[in-house]
Amino acid sequence: MKKSKYYLIIVLALTMFVISACGSNNDNEGSSDNGDSSASGEQVLNMVETAEIPTGDPALATDAASFIVFGQTMEGLYVLDGEDQPVPAIADGDPEISEDGLVYTFKLKEDAKWSNGDPVTAHDFVYAWQRALNPDTGSQYAYMFSGVIENATDIMNGDAAVEELGAEAVDDYTLEITLEQPVEYLNSLLAFGTYLPLNEDFVEEKGDSFGTNSDNMLANGPFVLTGWDGSGLTWTYEKNEEYYDIDNVSLDKVNVQVAKEPSTAVNLYETGEADRTAALSSEYAKQYANHEDASTFEEGSSWYLKFNQERDGEETPLANENIRKALAMAFDKEAFAEQVLSNGSIPSDGYVPRGLAVNPETGEDFREESGNLISYDVEKAQEYWNKGLEELGVDELSLDYLSDDTENAKRTAEYFKNQLETNLDGLTLNLENVPFKNRLDRTTAQDYDVVMHGWGPDYLDPLTFLDLYVTDGANNQASISNEEYDQLIEDAKVTYANDPEKRWEAMLEAERILVQEDTAIAPIYQRGRLTLIKPYVKGLEEHLFGPDYSLKNVTIEK
Amino acid sequence: MAKYITKRIIYLIITLFIIASVTFFLMKFLPGTPFSNEERLTIEQREILNAKYGLDQPIPIQYMNYMVNIVKGDLGVSFQFENQPVMDLLMNRIGPSMQLGVQAMIIGTIIGIALGVLAAMFQNTWIDYGSTFLAILGKSIPSFVLAALLQYYIGVKLGWLPVASWNGFSSSILPTIALACFPIATAARFMRTELIEVFGSDYITLAKAKGNSRGEVAVKHAIRNALIPLITVLGPMAVGLMTGSMVVEKVFAVPGIGEQFVKSIMTNDFPIIMGTTLFFAFLLTVIILIIDILYGIIDPRIRLNGGDK
Amino acid sequence: MNREEIKEIPKEQFEPAPIDHEAGERLEKPQLSFMKDAWLRVRKNKAAIVSLIILALIVIMAIIGPHLSGHDGYEQDVAKSNLPPRVPVLENMGIFDGTQKVGGEEVNKYEQMNIEEYYWFGTDSLGRDLFTRVWLGTRVSLYIAVLAAAIDMLVGVIYGLVSGFKGGRTDNVMQRILEVISGIPNLIVVILMLLILKPGIMSITIAMVITGWVGMARVVRGQVLKLKDQEYILASRTLGAKNNRLLFKHLLPNLSGVIIINTMFTIPSAIFFEAFLSFIGIGLQAPSASLGTLIEDGYKTFQFLPHLMIIPCILICVILIVCNLIGDGLRDAFDPKMRD
Repeated sequence: MKKSKYYLIIVLALTMFVISACGSNNDNEGSSDNGDSSASGEQVLNMVETAEIPTGDPALATDAASFIVFGQTMEGLYVLDGEDQPVPAIADGDPEISEDGLVYTFKLKEDAKWSNGDPVTAHDFVYAWQRALNPDTGSQYAYMFSGVIENATDIMNGDAAVEELGAEAVDDYTLEITLEQPVEYLNSLLAFGTYLPLNEDFVEEKGDSFGTNSDNMLANGPFVLTGWDGSGLTWTYEKNEEYYDIDNVSLDKVNVQVAKEPSTAVNLYETGEADRTAALSSEYAKQYANHEDASTFEEGSSWYLKFNQERDGEETPLANENIRKALAMAFDKEAFAEQVLSNGSIPSDGYVPRGLAVNPETGEDFREESGNLISYDVEKAQEYWNKGLEELGVDELSLDYLSDDTENAKRTAEYFKNQLETNLDGLTLNLENVPFKNRLDRTTAQDYDVVMHGWGPDYLDPLTFLDLYVTDGANNQASISNEEYDQLIEDAKVTYANDPEKRWEAMLEAERILVQEDTAIAPIYQRGRLTLIKPYVKGLEEHLFGPDYSLKNVTIEK
Repeated sequence: MAKYITKRIIYLIITLFIIASVTFFLMKFLPGTPFSNEERLTIEQREILNAKYGLDQPIPIQYMNYMVNIVKGDLGVSFQFENQPVMDLLMNRIGPSMQLGVQAMIIGTIIGIALGVLAAMFQNTWIDYGSTFLAILGKSIPSFVLAALLQYYIGVKLGWLPVASWNGFSSSILPTIALACFPIATAARFMRTELIEVFGSDYITLAKAKGNSRGEVAVKHAIRNALIPLITVLGPMAVGLMTGSMVVEKVFAVPGIGEQFVKSIMTNDFPIIMGTTLFFAFLLTVIILIIDILYGIIDPRIRLNGGDK
Repeated sequence: MNREEIKEIPKEQFEPAPIDHEAGERLEKPQLSFMKDAWLRVRKNKAAIVSLIILALIVIMAIIGPHLSGHDGYEQDVAKSNLPPRVPVLENMGIFDGTQKVGGEEVNKYEQMNIEEYYWFGTDSLGRDLFTRVWLGTRVSLYIAVLAAAIDMLVGVIYGLVSGFKGGRTDNVMQRILEVISGIPNLIVVILMLLILKPGIMSITIAMVITGWVGMARVVRGQVLKLKDQEYILASRTLGAKNNRLLFKHLLPNLSGVIIINTMFTIPSAIFFEAFLSFIGIGLQAPSASLGTLIEDGYKTFQFLPHLMIIPCILICVILIVCNLIGDGLRDAFDPKMRD
């Protein structure tokens, strides 16, 4: 009997120890209090996100979650407005442009301040850009400067000193940028996260810990980030008292909760603990499609099948144009977008997504003007298929279909296998759903036949898509090659750099060759997202590129 | 005793060494790089980044560095959370995980014991079957299903408790219940078997013969003796809780270690995977060691010389 | 009885019976093999028997189930996606009639979409028949579990036998190895293995086996140590039995109890673990389905389409419960203390 008393005492002691140990750890958890339920009239917004913030350092950021944070807390020379048009932010009006289109001189707003009270100056931009390009920083988005700002490529590759960058602070509020060549879409680049300014003193003081939690970050935008411990599932934005345009910010506080399970996110919304969800997974999107709070948005990413024309040094059956055309026409995109994805994605018969860019003269959208380049047509597909098989001299084909292993990718793969095999006799599709990294490895090695590929814009211009498929392009990875196409892209980049209309024509023609004539890729859809948002949340702006949304103009009208 | 403990600690170190080595080499086999924006990087840039993370060095050197750093308590820097030491990331997340684990273990053991005692006292009656059934059910419903059901019915439909997030004690209740099922089941089934055995022993017969009632016998004599061996299942219970935590934390958006681990698996964040693996292994081996030592102290019948003759 | 009557009793009846020495050696009860004996006792355990029957039914359904509904488990028809269950006859009773709540209203999806067919368990988001898929999934889950259990058993028994029987230095070394391996958390090994191997039936099985056999080896060794000092082994050895004979003729049959019980508990835990792996995203690959992946798929939409989650979930619970009950029954049956 004595023994069991020992036992009880020891167990008790152990329990106390563990509890006290975790109790002390809880304190810092409790301090990030963010569950304020918003009383009516209070300007507090509660949001759900699907991923943590990986970093608060704009140079190192690579993912949507980080860029969303910068979208709320920082402003560059330009920001995107509600229609995705870049509008001057820290820049005081549009710049003076030299005649050759190479030198831009920006005047900066003199009342813009960092959240610690320091003014935002031209030096901050020069410092931030040099830092991002410095190989020691390890920025994965440094290439955004490459080919745009003078000497950026050399600096990025360690072949030139950072001081040689074509960006100079003439005085505190005058910034002079020298370009390598005229760039149509410069304004949208200047709104991108990697082009944000940084306060040198602050960054240098924090060293490696810059951007690792909310205390190690500075804001110059409408909100400051608080309560973020570096990897936590909750954080808050609070109104930035130093913001130059504070009079137009009505939200006092935004609470963000990460919920990775779609059901959790929806449950938080249903119970009123959240006012907005992030993009719903397709299962939920389907259920909520007709919900009064549902709101859809067409994202800027384009999804398509890429056909590998050369594998292990040999031509694949996909080097045959007819086979490619057959595959590209043999699946029902509409049913796929509506029934399988059902998240606001739209079927696409072209490569460049809708809403990205408009004709500089007529204002017509690129997608509209380019039209339906390749559509679902089983009969034609079978015709091409039989012709292709005949040319290859075979009765059946077996192809490896490579894609990610996410839920949507798996369901997509199953759908395509079913569609293509049903519509094309003698075709076998071997599904290979592999992790994202694995997929990249295999596409780089060209170890696949067909891959499901998605691409989002780096800037607001069709070139961000079309540039991929020039001969030997770094992301070509399918031995796609067409001299005419290469020439058109070269024209769009260099020859017509100062001639928007001709440039536009070249890009239209390039897309037509890529999709309609060669069918090197088979467009499927432009991704959409469906979110739930309470009707009393007004003024939330969603973006095609850069941060998913901006909260600056949001008001709560209960 | 001292000799035994020393020996066990040496094994513990060997085990951890092997785990660290195995994890390291397994990670090297994994495809892909940790760079999330890999698709858009040029070859030169990849080289620069590899050099930054020390990934350009020959594997034996990387291995040496890794091992030396572990001894120093440095688990490296996360790939997905830029510039954040893995140790800090683990420490940020340890509190909620520990709290949930301990709560679930305590509640689970208490309820489990109660169920087990009931089952044993009323062996082969519907009470026994019912409690056995409940116990197995607790073990067989996947924890994510249970978590989702709790969240939906208690959180959303009834609105009694927060749906998710980590915000004070009330938000820890649902995840604790979801986690506790496994300990309940384990303890209940173990208790039942032990008690039935104890009930069959001579001293219980004697106690009964002396005129003690059934309840008195159970409380005064049987349960106490059956409780001692229960300590041996605390190890498997801890393993079960760790497994469960990955799922339950994700569903309830609890900022714990399990949740982070699952994410790092998805994003190839090798340093976190390796760090968490080591941490889990360390925790488990230490728990098992403590349990063995405790058990030896409590029950002298167990020889502590590791089965040597 | 009076004296007269006593006199009438024939004298022969008072002769001593011939002593049959043979009869003294004869056994009254029929001689039972160990297994038979156990079976007789299991038979008395009603729960175990019922469980056994249910398990047998499930196994049969796993074999023939996918062919019963007439719908292919892989064939997609997105026009018929997410249908609720509808069963003939039962639908007239107001259950399984294909109604579903959409936005708070009860609608009969079949009538709404003009579908004539009956999907007994409904369909999933790609319009595949859940009935067929559930049984296909059961097949895969059972296959993984049985395979894992069998390999565990093989490796564990051999390891335990050798370690226990050889004893001495061999045992010592083997035990140290075992101790280190068992120190490595199973969960972590499985996850690491699956990160490297391509997730599939074989790799999941292998990953689970890598540390799974340790428990079996331990138990077997313990039993061997206990048994090998017993008189019957000594007797057999004295009679000149070789090691092989000792191992396979004498030790193994007596170990079969613990081996079977251990295996019966391995199967459910393997099924359970496989479901867990699906949840954290390193389970089986599409389009193959296991109960785990089905539950995981269904879990995502259980608020609107509960059948997608609940049906496979019930099945997994039933399998786990019956396996546990059979295991319990066997344990009781093999336990010499429970002999009546």
